[in-house]
Parts: sequence; structure tokens; C-alpha cells
Amino acid sequence: MNSPPVPPLQDEGHPDEPSRRLLWISGLGAFGLVAFAWMSGEINIGGFFGADRARNLERFLTEDAIPFPLRESGFTWSGLWTWVGGQWNAAGAEATMTTLWIAVASMALAGAGALLVAPWVARTISTQEPFLQSGPIGIGWIWASRIARLICILARALPEYILAFLWVAVLPGSAWPAVLALAMHNGGILGRLFGETLENLERRPLQALRTLGGSRGQITALAAVPVALPRFLLYFFYRFETCVREATVLGMLGIVSLGYQIQDARSRHAYDDMLLLVGFGVMLVLLADLTSHGVRIWLRREAPR
Amino acid sequence: MDRHPPKPPPRGLILLGIGLLGLLAAFLLGLRPAGLVPNAGGLRLARDFFSAATEPAFSWESAHLAAHTTPFLADLAHAALRTLIFAAAAMSLSVLAGLPLGILASETWWRRSSFKNSRMTAAARGLQAAVRIGIALMRSVHELIWAVILLAAVGLNTFGAVLAIAVPYSGTLAKVFSEMLDEAPRHSAKALEGIGVRPLSVFLFGLVPRALPDLVAYTAYRFECAVRSAAVLGFFGYPTLGYHLTLSFGDGRFRETWTTIYLLLGLILFLEWWSTAIRRRLVS
Repeated sequence: MNSPPVPPLQDEGHPDEPSRRLLWISGLGAFGLVAFAWMSGEINIGGFFGADRARNLERFLTEDAIPFPLRESGFTWSGLWTWVGGQWNAAGAEATMTTLWIAVASMALAGAGALLVAPWVARTISTQEPFLQSGPIGIGWIWASRIARLICILARALPEYILAFLWVAVLPGSAWPAVLALAMHNGGILGRLFGETLENLERRPLQALRTLGGSRGQITALAAVPVALPRFLLYFFYRFETCVREATVLGMLGIVSLGYQIQDARSRHAYDDMLLLVGFGVMLVLLADLTSHGVRIWLRREAPR
Repeated sequence: MDRHPPKPPPRGLILLGIGLLGLLAAFLLGLRPAGLVPNAGGLRLARDFFSAATEPAFSWESAHLAAHTTPFLADLAHAALRTLIFAAAAMSLSVLAGLPLGILASETWWRRSSFKNSRMTAAARGLQAAVRIGIALMRSVHELIWAVILLAAVGLNTFGAVLAIAVPYSGTLAKVFSEMLDEAPRHSAKALEGIGVRPLSVFLFGLVPRALPDLVAYTAYRFECAVRSAAVLGFFGYPTLGYHLTLSFGDGRFRETWTTIYLLLGLILFLEWWSTAIRRRLVS
């Protein structure tokens, strides 16, 4: 093909015409779905702003949400502080720390699982002639890679909450359900991201090691993974944030984390306590955000692209 | 300044630290390998549950339910539709709120706008910081916690479910949008600025279009997440797929549970395929 004198501004008549069709269909579909959603009558906006709901909301904001000791005696900073401290000592501290430890344990497990799955996901490793660009892939290796990918997809497809709900029924009475659910979901996500990172590594150094006689396992463990590690850690800390948020919620299934105490306060109609516990959760999530943000900046300083 | 390259962070140590913290967490939570072995009841339940996996139900498992209500599949399809409806409505609100918030939280907006003298810049900084804090607060409360708060404040209402998803999702979209706007290529904006285009127009026509593919691809991905969230809201009494899941599981109608799981799985896998396809076409 000769290069045209003026490059076209839009790629009209581009070879991948059908790909733009998908975008058009998706756009129309999205608008259609949103319009349908609001007009279907399933969303009761009128009811939400109705008089009795407004009364509920008013009572909630002016009475229920006010810290109990301040309702009668009036507002004092010391009164507020005593209340916050009392709640923190009563249930808040333990629930907050449990939430944090659930997130840490499940992310460690997810990371370990992802490290084990990733080489199988990476098609440059999961092939008959690893790290070399040529040669047959081998039907067994094709399937190994496909199955690894399928495991990752299925592990992360269902929401953590549903996974934990099912685990609680089988393993009641410990923190395992929450940890397993979070580890599964995040392990699936990380497994695929790690695998793709391994797949996209600069290939020539690894090829060189291969031609020097390194085995698949040796090169993967001692060259590929160490080179990919900065990127792995970036993904890891990015997921850690989300995992802490999610860990607060899983308590609602009976694991004594923040969610459990929040649900408990709600069932006692102690909405002031409930909101304070939500506040403890916000604090924890913001701290986790800051930590992982800081670690990511620190890692990125040196992480080669 | 420093002739030696900076020392790389000790990644091996980080890895070791993660492992040790994980073990410490397991110790503090009282997680023991023995805890992974279900007791007799758990084992029986697991066996019953998984043996139902191969024969999902296509009609109500209990005659009592079948006599009074709509056919099972119709009911389930309705729940799936409601899951999509809640997710779509929530996403539309999230985009409407997240886009302006994201613009206000970005660096580029304040740099490109007419806030040029230093006093105004301080005010702009303050406003930007306020927006960023607001976004962080919206995001840091999980959608299910928003749902619980809204349940306590106004009671069970479907618009409440939409809001519960929309509030944290607006925050997430705003944060990611602002990062994408700040990282978008600058060439067009610089060219427009060079020929004297007004700052607002530079932003709207030079910068936003360059970030748009990323914004759209991310929104498509978040829709997939919103469907998950909407399904889970069913656990709190909203009529989505999660509602069927918890009711049928609680009653031991495991074949119905599996039908629900397969439907949700199919929905999510389809949306995942779709959002990946969109991303591949939009983002090189």
C-alpha cells in the first residue's frame, strides 16, 4: 500500500470495521438500558421522597444519629470524646483490627495462589518450548494454559459476599469463610494480572537463558518472576485497598469484623453506634489507601516498565 | 545530583514482610488448617449442595411455592432484569456525578482554567482538596454499608438501593476519571493553547477527547462491578438475584440456588467479555 498524501483524520474504512460496530451497538444498548431502567417502574423515586420517608429521615438525622449521651445533656466535646472512646474500647477496636487482619491474611493467601497460577497462565511459559518464540505449543500445554485462565475467571466471577455466604454455611464459626472468599476473588484477579505480566516480559534475556540450558522452572523462578516482581507488587497493593473495604462488609455474615458490629448495632436500633462503627471503617480504609498509595509510589520510583 | 542510581526498594524484603504479616494475621484470627475441615453438618451440607450442581432447577422445588407464585424461571428472569436495572440506573447517576467531580479533582482542570494569579490558585487548591476528600469519603464506605445506612434512615426502597451503589461508585469513577484526565496525552491541548483558544475550550476539545476512550472503557468495567453489587443487595431484601440466592439456600432448595448462581455467573461472564472487548477496541 502506498502511503496516502494526507493521513485520514478518522480511520474510515479501516480493516477492523466490525470492531466499531460493537462500540456503536454497545453505546446504543447502554443508553437503551439506562432509559429502560428509569422508566421501568422498578425504581420507586416518588416513594423515596414521600412524606413518611422524609419523616423517617428527619428522625434519623435529628434523633437516632445523635450520639446517645449527647441527646439529653446537650453537646459537649468531652461527652462526645468519652462516647467515642467507650465505643472504641467496647467493640470498635477489636472489630477494626479483625477487619484489617482478615484483609492481610486473605491478600497474602491470594498473592501466594496467584504466584502459583501465573506461570501456567502465561502463554510464553506454558508451552512446549518455553521462552522461545518458535516451536510447537503442544496440545497439553494449550489446555494447561486454558484451564489456568478458566480457574482465574471462575474464581473472581462471583462477588466475594456470595462466596463468603456459601463458605459460612460449610465452615461456620471461624474467620476462614471471609478469608477464603476474599482470597479466591483476589487470587483470581491477581493470577490473571500476574500471568499477563509474565507474558509481556522482555523476551530476549529469558530466551538467552533458555538457550544456555536453563530449565522452565529455573528460568521462571529465578529470572522471570524476580523481573516481574515490582509490577506484581503494584497490583498487589492496588488490590489490598479494595480488599480492606470488602473485609468490613463480610462481617455482616457473622464473622466478627466491623460489618458484624454494624449489623448488630442496626438490629439494636442503636444508629448512633452504627454510624460511629462506619466511621471506624472509613478510618481504616483511608489508612489502607494511604499506605498502599505510599508503597506504590515508592515501588514505582525504581520499577522498570 | 546522585551519580549512583538510587537503591532499588528491597523487594525480597517486601515479599518476606507480606508473608510474615499473613502468618501473623492467621495467628491472630485463630486460623488453623484444622479449621478448614468441615464438621459433620457442614460436610453433609456441602455434599448436598454440590451434588445439586449438576441438576439446576427449572421449576420451583417446593410444591407449596409452585402452587401460589409465578413460574420459577419467570421469577428468576425478573430478578436478573432487576439486577441489571439497578446496576444501569446506579451507573447513570455515577457517571453524572463522577464526571464533574473527577474534573474538579484533576490537576489539569485547574491548570487549564483561568485561575492564573496566585491568590485564585490557593482558592482552587482548597476547592480541589475539598473535592478530593469528599470523593475519598464516598468511596471508603462500601456500597453494602451505604445500603444499611439508607435502610436505617429511610427504610426499604428501590431508589435507596440505586443510591447505595451510586454514591461509592461516583467516588470511584471521580477518582479514576481525574487520574485519567491528568495522564491523557497533552499534544492537542498544547496545540490549541498555542493558537490562543480559551482555556475552557482547550480542556473540553483538547484534553477530554484524548481521555475519553479510557473513561468509557473504565465505565464499562465498573458496570460489570455494579451488576455484582446489585446482585448482592438482594441479601438485604432488595428483589435482585441475591434475594433468590439467600432464600433458596436458606430453605435448602439447592437446585434453585444453582440455577441462580449459573444465571449470575453467565451474566457476569458475558459482561466481562463485553467490557474486555470494548477496552480492546478503545484502548490500544
